[in-house]
Amino acid sequence: MEINGLQRHYELASGVVRALDGIDINIEKGERIVLLGPSGSGKTTLLNCVAALDSPTGGSYSFDGEDVPRNKSEEMTTFRRKNIGYVFQFFNLLQDLTVLENILLIQELSGSRDKQRALDLLQLVGLEKEVDRFPAEISGGQQQRVAIARSLAKSPKLLLGDELTGNLDSKTSAMVMEVLVKACESEEITTIMVTHDENLSKYATRVIRLDSGKIVSDEKVNQ
Amino acid sequence: MSMLLTKRLARSLWRTKLRLSAVVFMVAVGVFAGISFGTYANAASNLYDGIYDGEDGVNLPDIWVENPSGVWNDSTSENLCESISDRWPDSDYSLENCEARLILDGIMYDVDSDGNEKVIPAVWHGIDEGIVDKVWMPTESDFSSGRLAENSNEIVLDSHIALDLKVELGDEIEISSGHGKMSYEVVGIGFQSMHLYFATEGSTLPADDGTFATGYMTDSGLERLANLSAGSSNLILIDVQGSPVYDLQSTDDINENEELTKLVSDISILMGDLDDTPVSVYDRSGVFSVEVLRADAEGAVKMYPYVTGMIAAIAGITIFLSLQRLIQSQAKEIAVLRTLGVPKMSIMPGYILAPIVIGLLGSFIGTLLGIYFGAPGMLSFYEQIIGLPINNATDTSLVMQNITIAMIIVLLAGLRPAWQASRLQPLNVFRGQHEVKLSSRKLQKLTAKLPATVGLSVRSSLRKPMRVGFTFFAVGISMLLFGAMLFMMSSMEDSILGGIKDKQSWDIQASTPIDGEDAVIDWVDQNDGQYELLINFPIGIEDDNRQMMAYGLDKFSTTDDKDSMIMVDLLDGDLPEQNTGNIQVLIDQGTSEFLDWKTGDEVSILVGNDMHTVEITGITKGEISRTIYFHRADLSELVGLESTSVLIELPDEETSLDGLSEITIGYSLKKDTIKTFESLLEQQQQFIFAIQFLGIIIAIAVLFNTLLMNLAERDTELATLRVLGAPMSKLGKMMLWEHLGIGLIGGILGALFAYFGTVLLISSQVQWAFYFTIEPQFAATMTIVGVIAGISIALTPIGMWRIKKMNLVDKVKDLSN
Repeated sequence: MEINGLQRHYELASGVVRALDGIDINIEKGERIVLLGPSGSGKTTLLNCVAALDSPTGGSYSFDGEDVPRNKSEEMTTFRRKNIGYVFQFFNLLQDLTVLENILLIQELSGSRDKQRALDLLQLVGLEKEVDRFPAEISGGQQQRVAIARSLAKSPKLLLGDELTGNLDSKTSAMVMEVLVKACESEEITTIMVTHDENLSKYATRVIRLDSGKIVSDEKVNQ
Repeated sequence: MSMLLTKRLARSLWRTKLRLSAVVFMVAVGVFAGISFGTYANAASNLYDGIYDGEDGVNLPDIWVENPSGVWNDSTSENLCESISDRWPDSDYSLENCEARLILDGIMYDVDSDGNEKVIPAVWHGIDEGIVDKVWMPTESDFSSGRLAENSNEIVLDSHIALDLKVELGDEIEISSGHGKMSYEVVGIGFQSMHLYFATEGSTLPADDGTFATGYMTDSGLERLANLSAGSSNLILIDVQGSPVYDLQSTDDINENEELTKLVSDISILMGDLDDTPVSVYDRSGVFSVEVLRADAEGAVKMYPYVTGMIAAIAGITIFLSLQRLIQSQAKEIAVLRTLGVPKMSIMPGYILAPIVIGLLGSFIGTLLGIYFGAPGMLSFYEQIIGLPINNATDTSLVMQNITIAMIIVLLAGLRPAWQASRLQPLNVFRGQHEVKLSSRKLQKLTAKLPATVGLSVRSSLRKPMRVGFTFFAVGISMLLFGAMLFMMSSMEDSILGGIKDKQSWDIQASTPIDGEDAVIDWVDQNDGQYELLINFPIGIEDDNRQMMAYGLDKFSTTDDKDSMIMVDLLDGDLPEQNTGNIQVLIDQGTSEFLDWKTGDEVSILVGNDMHTVEITGITKGEISRTIYFHRADLSELVGLESTSVLIELPDEETSLDGLSEITIGYSLKKDTIKTFESLLEQQQQFIFAIQFLGIIIAIAVLFNTLLMNLAERDTELATLRVLGAPMSKLGKMMLWEHLGIGLIGGILGALFAYFGTVLLISSQVQWAFYFTIEPQFAATMTIVGVIAGISIALTPIGMWRIKKMNLVDKVKDLSN
């Protein structure tokens, strides 16, 4: 992914808020990037732009050599469907579906139901015994692992996580991150994770720090 | 109560203004319908009270003694009244007045726009003193004018026909009653208590414009027309002292007054002693026109609470569901407030105030619509149908009553959600336990084999069984309004129109003077037609003052055989045989139900003054009035008449009817009867559409409210799926199937509700004079299912639009829903 001079400005009555103010990043395949920064630094906005959930107001960015769509809802959705896996802070599992069905649903909506892959992914995240349970019947850490399996279900090229351990204790966080690293390595998936938690840096291959909408540091780690 | 908390609640409600307006709309519809139907019910009741008892009132006889087979001469007429007075039976009621009256069938002649002579069946009254009842000419009414007839060449024409034919005071009209055409001057236009419901004898439908006439002349005027000697009569009207309740529409049971029943029976016996002529003695229940109006007024009074109650219940359900949803969406806020120490009693008032404000707003809108549109519309429609002047403004107490009912229901509907809001446990809410979203294992197993998208749809729809249940219930009620009209109209069409079109093959029914059938038969032969003789004769029942109409048929055949001019639709048993030991008869389903008479029973009936035993061989269906079928020969022996009319089948439609009016005392054409019903349907179309539209609008509001709540509840889910790349087309399809499922289930339940509800409603409304059954109708059922499924599916785009405009980033983080 190539990001050049990316801007996301909000015009408010009180003036212009520069959430992203000229971001330049090149991301290689297989990298595991952790975006760190204080609240309001722009890391979630950057993640949303990368995920094609939000449209930048300036700059350019491309994925696999093609521009990432912006301001066109269905094109943005298609881009996400083809390329992006997303893990939420609050897991966002569908409570009426079992663990297995949560994964199957995404496959069905993407047009490729593959039960065996869903089961394999659950095994990969260590939940092969929980396939028929409902989300409310398993722990938070397990739910997040289901969410990781779900995000991998349609074999995305890029996995995005927004404070994905923010709702978990440190022990469970570690377990979830290990599962994530293992899964991404086995599937050769590039990962970008937004977090406040400096400890997650140890799972990254690259750490980017933002402040006031600008990159303040960008370093390769754990290579 | 904290103003800030209330302000916060008001803002939250305002955010859901689409749903809020659906709820306000429901309350408004409830109040609107209550005021409209209530005004109609009041008008129907007050109208007849006014006609019979008011200052301008004309009284209604209490007992009629009819001579159906001939005319009494002057001295017999006078003797009968004197004898009745002298030998008045021992009763709580004493005789007020007795008056002999002459009423004859006849014809009114009119010239149509093409200059052709038009023959209109008529009933002419010769009113001598008019002491028991008189012509009703309400002052300050556009419907009546002029004065009573004073000379033998003057007539007061009934307002219904005068308006239809645009006859004015001073016009000369030509009429007859079996003895040639004569000219009369119209000196008045008014009404008569026996013809307020303006229908030909035996017809349950009001006569179509210009197809039936009645007129009121002096007794000498009618004697001149019919070439009868002075003082002739065929009806004795008896008035008992006071205004007994049975004059008015105030009782549940038609056979309400034991003392009157006894009096009718005693006078019947007395008449047998006084005169050999077979007579029919009856009270109000034997006068169809009077009975229909009473039934109509009573029906309106009975229906009004049902209709308004149903709509108010729907309003209550929508308010209840909406407030529950509001509280669910605000659970976290409430939990925070409670954690911060806000007491329960500060939380609750706002949630009680909300339905009160909604109720007041809805009531205000509903009252305005009801007073200015609904009530005048209903009264104008009613006036148009029955052709009587109605001066009834909407009653303030009625308005207050409806607003009070609406407010009570609204408040009750809001109480439980408000109580729930105050009882929310902060810890449970923060743990997400305030609302268990878990699908049941059973449901999971049932849907496990289905694709996850379908499974999700099913489980999400059934996530709130109470909501779905209430929604289906409310949709069912709304479909009762819509479906009742469909079921009733198609059943009535089958019964009345089908009864005439399919069960009767005659073209003309000609009433003949006594022994006058031969002349009509000659006329039929000359015109290459076919004929059957018919006897119509009112008969009584042992120990019962109700009347039924006996039909003496030349031939019997069923609707399958089609071998006679009047066919019967056998529900049970066999056709009767002629000349058997016991006289064999068929009775209609209504008679069977009201009197508990069954096939094979031997029952006693009163023909004229004599009791006879007859054997019931079968029960027929489709008759609206109470009917008993005889072989004509059998009935002829009982009543001493060969026939009362001739049924005629013409070789073709072009056959000229010249000469027929001179040899009959009136005739009716089948095509006019069909036209009457079709015209009535057309007339009622607007009203029927209005009720159906109301039902559909309510169903839309209810489904809209629920489906929107279902969607709002799933905002996070749907946003998550969108973030994960679910295309709108797939989500749209998922929603479509979901709505189709809800629509189909709701539609089927709605159809069942509508059918059984209509059956219940009708069974509570049927009366001796008007019996009617609802048949399951495939087309009507499919229409109801289609309407609900259609409404449900049509709401899919709104759901998709909602998803499209969702802020995905915000929604995926919003776990309060």
